[in-house]
Amino acid sequence: MANTGADERLLRALAEQIKLPLVQIASMAELGNPNSLESIAHITEAALSLVDGFLLSSQRAEQETLELEPVSLSSVLMETSHQLDFWAKQNNCDIEVRLAGKYVPVMAHQKSLRSALLLLGYSLIEARAVERRRHRVVLAAHRNPHGGLVAGVFDNQPGISADAFRRGRALYGSARQPIPGLGGANGAGVFIADALLRTMAAPLRVARHNNLTGLAGTFHPSSQLQFVS
Amino acid sequence: MNILLVEPSQLLARAYTAALERVGHEVVCCSGAQEAIHALDEGLAELIVLELQLGGHSGIEFLYELRSYPEWQSLPVVLNTFAKSLQKPDQVFDRLGVTHYLYKPMTSLRQLVRAVDEASLLRV
Repeated sequence: MANTGADERLLRALAEQIKLPLVQIASMAELGNPNSLESIAHITEAALSLVDGFLLSSQRAEQETLELEPVSLSSVLMETSHQLDFWAKQNNCDIEVRLAGKYVPVMAHQKSLRSALLLLGYSLIEARAVERRRHRVVLAAHRNPHGGLVAGVFDNQPGISADAFRRGRALYGSARQPIPGLGGANGAGVFIADALLRTMAAPLRVARHNNLTGLAGTFHPSSQLQFVS
Repeated sequence: MNILLVEPSQLLARAYTAALERVGHEVVCCSGAQEAIHALDEGLAELIVLELQLGGHSGIEFLYELRSYPEWQSLPVVLNTFAKSLQKPDQVFDRLGVTHYLYKPMTSLRQLVRAVDEASLLRV
């Protein structure tokens, strides 16, 4: 399945990362607490999102055309926050959506964008959960000075620097912790999100949203629909 | 027995705590090495269950620091970790006083509890 070096590295990172939810499921099942069933269902959902994200990025990378469509960032961010809600509660986290105004649709691939934001959300929530104090993860979008729309996942922790992210890109799939700011995780979710965003010509980068730092992609407004909203 | 559990995943920490408390142990959880050193300073831990892959300082760094203090040199340590390969693991683990090495994906809660019980017998 994996044709390229990047795919192989992603696959290795995914295989390492997927062990955690499987061990979590096995441990909770062994405890046999009926209250754990809902958690097990959500852990499974998160693990499947990771696998789905990888498969989608792999399929999209093989396509010759970008196949972009006008997508409403606001609705994708809202939808993603609902999907992350239970996961956030389980990890002592508040999830929030911040939209600085009303946006025209952007050119993106809706399924890939949703998958990328979801994986970024899971990754950041889990990374911050290690700190064992209540924290906040924000799904946000804003306009940049060049007319693009920046959308991503942010929080108020020092987080990941641009240098650390660049080094992480070179190390994922072979290092256990390619990005130190991601807690003990190997960052598979982040790098799969990066691969998905690359298929939309919006590679992931370290970004700021007001006083928050995070990871985001930059999208271009749909020219045809600029007059509609 | 008072156990210090150093585990970055909250969900796993909850499951391990529940399994160990069921058989009568008391568990204090930490997510990282620094926090674990602070917990040890409180002086209650009689045994440590440790994941090597932690955010910030690694579990190996934590072990070296732990063994540098005379009062903690004989504290039993059970490794329960996703880290699979270490160079010459037996020698490293012997030197660091690791009583059990458990590869987490292949370790059930029952096996963890058994390892903790065996390790507790080795207490000086």
